[in-house]
Amino acid sequence: MPGADAVVTGIGLVSPAGIGTEANWETVCAAKPAAALDPELDGVPVRLSCRVPGFDAAALLGARRAHRLDRCVQFALVAVREALADADLDPADWDGTRVGVVLGCGLGGPATAEREHQVLREEGAQWVSPLLLAMHPVGMLAGQVAIECGARGPNLVVSTACTSGTAAIGMARDLLALGRCDIVLTGGAEAPVTPLTVAGFAQMGALSRRHDDPAGASRPFDADRDGFVAGEGAGLLVLERPEHARARGARVRARVVGYGGSADAHHITAPHPEGRGIEAAVRAALADAGASPDEVAHVNAHGTSTPLNDAAEAAVVRRVLPGGPLVTSTKGVTGHLIGAAGAVEAAYTVLAVERGLVPPTANLDRPDPGLDLDLATAPTPRRIGLALSHSIGFGGQNAVLAVAPA
Amino acid sequence: MFEQLKEILAGKLQVPADLITMEATPEAIELDSLAVVELSLVLDKELGIKISDDTLAEAGTVGDIVRLMEERGATL
Repeated sequence: MPGADAVVTGIGLVSPAGIGTEANWETVCAAKPAAALDPELDGVPVRLSCRVPGFDAAALLGARRAHRLDRCVQFALVAVREALADADLDPADWDGTRVGVVLGCGLGGPATAEREHQVLREEGAQWVSPLLLAMHPVGMLAGQVAIECGARGPNLVVSTACTSGTAAIGMARDLLALGRCDIVLTGGAEAPVTPLTVAGFAQMGALSRRHDDPAGASRPFDADRDGFVAGEGAGLLVLERPEHARARGARVRARVVGYGGSADAHHITAPHPEGRGIEAAVRAALADAGASPDEVAHVNAHGTSTPLNDAAEAAVVRRVLPGGPLVTSTKGVTGHLIGAAGAVEAAYTVLAVERGLVPPTANLDRPDPGLDLDLATAPTPRRIGLALSHSIGFGGQNAVLAVAPA
Repeated sequence: MFEQLKEILAGKLQVPADLITMEATPEAIELDSLAVVELSLVLDKELGIKISDDTLAEAGTVGDIVRLMEERGATL
């Protein structure tokens, strides 16, 4: 249903670029990489990660509350509080039955699962925490956000690997367009930096092994890229029906005007070599937005810093978007937040559109000459009439959001 | 026993220490059904005192839990 826009009225960000939207924007525009050696990954073949700096869940949420939440949910609750305040929404005032929650998350709570698995093996099943299944499953994320703010409408977690956050926002927009909700709290959260998860990604060959230069490890579209760096965090958007936002006099930061999803149906981890799936998702998002490809002025690319992803994605941008959009991958700063990546990047795309400023790609010392993209290497002022945020996932999933100014 | 219970509630279940008094109700220290199960497990693991979660759920105050601990602890 083209033209069924949803408006973004609030943003909350907890990421390796900082806690809070303004801290994030400053770090991302300064192209300051978060990747560092991680002592918790000692003994794992890859010891690099992008952590949320200074995240103290007990201080932010209260020790009692934090104790019963996986780290992933802790990030989401801090982010949703910021997003609601930013939207000037007080859950005490709203009709909670009209407020939905649709969040993306790839892995649930692996840290909780790994800890309790160790208890099982070393101490015995009778000592496994009764909180395990209230913390570890991926679906707990949306339930906890609903409890936090009394959102009693449709409640979903979308779990499609690295496209989860983007797909969640797309589904949230559909709920609004169908009139099922007035407000949807959407985005994603992930806490994948655990020994088992990072070992798994490392064994696949997906991760950078630049241990001698951690800050340079995540280098999307650079000729010397060698894999991604796992990151953690959450990105939350308050998405509303335009009429609802207008009626309450809300400030609109940007509009989500289109969404496209697809599957490569090709290989479980490798992207289709010509980017067939991501091309289909880009075209679907543009058709949904009622826009033509040459209108796209900016792309926040998936740009993971893996050799295969960046090449396939660049080929699609060149082929499908003749307007030569200014491309960036903020993963040079944040690393790859897996199921939260698309949510955090959608928020950055909203900020880029709102502020007319494209953030740079960090560590782009020697752009891969084979990619032939117009890449932002410094914060670049640009009037953006239409921007895309791409996500591409293991599983062959693809998801693209189209964002336009308020 | 009160001090031991307080240490477990504060140290393991992260209940704010200043809320833990003999008169405090389960609601006052946010001891919901899940937390009662957790407390039952931790009492057994840390002190070897076995009190089922069903029995703990009937306690009206922290003091009641302390009395249960004293009864069960004495029979060890």
